[in-house]
Amino acid sequence: MYRKQVRRRRAVLVALVIVSLILLSLSFSEADSGPIHSIQRGLASVFGPIEEGAGRALKPVRDAINWFDETFDARGENDRLQDELTELRADAVDAEAIQAENDELRKALDFKTDAGIEGYTQVTSRVIARSPTVWYSQVTIDQGSSSGIERDDPVVTGDGLVGKVSDTTAGTAQVTLITDHRSAVSARVLTDGPLGVVKPEVGDPDDLLLDFIQEDREVAKGQRLVTAGSTASDLESLFPPGIPIGEVTNAELQAQDTYQRVHLKPFADLRDFEYVQVLTGGDGE
Amino acid sequence: MIVTWQVALRIALLVLLGVVLQLSFFSEIELLGSTPDVLPVLAVALGLLGGGVVGAVCGFALGLLTDSLLLQTLGVSSIVLLTVGYLAGRWRESFDITSSFVPPLLTGALALFGAAMFAAIQLMLGVESPVSLLVVREILVKGLLAALLAIPLYPLVRFVLRPALVDDARGGRGRRGRRGRRRSLTPIRAA
Repeated sequence: MYRKQVRRRRAVLVALVIVSLILLSLSFSEADSGPIHSIQRGLASVFGPIEEGAGRALKPVRDAINWFDETFDARGENDRLQDELTELRADAVDAEAIQAENDELRKALDFKTDAGIEGYTQVTSRVIARSPTVWYSQVTIDQGSSSGIERDDPVVTGDGLVGKVSDTTAGTAQVTLITDHRSAVSARVLTDGPLGVVKPEVGDPDDLLLDFIQEDREVAKGQRLVTAGSTASDLESLFPPGIPIGEVTNAELQAQDTYQRVHLKPFADLRDFEYVQVLTGGDGE
Repeated sequence: MIVTWQVALRIALLVLLGVVLQLSFFSEIELLGSTPDVLPVLAVALGLLGGGVVGAVCGFALGLLTDSLLLQTLGVSSIVLLTVGYLAGRWRESFDITSSFVPPLLTGALALFGAAMFAAIQLMLGVESPVSLLVVREILVKGLLAALLAIPLYPLVRFVLRPALVDDARGGRGRRGRRGRRRSLTPIRAA
């Protein structure tokens, strides 16, 4: 009797492990339009409203818990912000002059600025679910293909770039954040700085790496980065140019590397945001 | 514990509720620089109360549903959580729970093991970016938070499945019943 139980237990365990490995293998190798992904999308669209309802109902509890955590961090943050405010006041004066010049040049070039980012429509969405692990930096939002959102649409918050749409259902969309290990964004260091590729450092949502910056190009702490964009027909960038990404915190050159390793802090708080704007219908689409 | 249809339904509801709450509530909370993960806590609790097979099946279901809803690579969370649930069940089948500290401590240890296993699988599948050493901190914090979460959740899961726990039903209420429960908490027996 006991041996029979042990055999059955082992059989169940082995069967489940084999099923998991088969699913892993199929899911990893299958195209996005394959049957497994379709089933996943079906389940996600069924559970989307439930997740949204649960998220809304539990928001006060979540906010209360996060408030306690944020209070601990607030002291150090206050001192840093005071210093930053002083710097920004000086920058604001310069920015006004630049803005006036910029407006004049845009008018001259007949740019359309009515959509905030030229040629794009912004779809405001709410985050309804989030991946629990640092290995997948993904969130689910409450708008999908029925709102005009398509795969690869850029996603931003008021602070800067957040990521891109990686999958859609009718009522929800999956956003892969710039801290996900599969993310890579072409970026430009302001002003007139070099071009590079922004990649994440898995496990640290406050640190991004700017790669492929030649060692002789000077990058200083405090310089800001925006998306480089590209309009070349064969290598068009997913992101329009000029979306703020982050600020350089440190630049170092490894002994054997030909490229600098530039660290930056993203402008958007990628662990704590509730609303995002999806930029749909860009010129490239 | 005897798994009847009613008990299976309760377990299924626990699994569904656990996944929905994880994705829409717990993943949005930030504590000690990480987010609490309720899924290994549930897998361990179900394994401890139901034994190896129940722990493995529930862990597999928790992982499969999570990966499906997040449109992630299927199978990764399943294999991790089924291992965690199975190990918890095997532990319960081999040893008695002699102290109320055992479930949280075991949950913490198995959640830590699960997070490390998840990281190892991801590295084997290929990570296209550099990996920060902070991942180690993330794994340790996840283990700690899981242990803390188990303090209220293990009794809650046990309460939900109480009609199926053979020795709870036999022990009844009161001092004698409590002593009886502590002495021998029999894992789920398949009906």
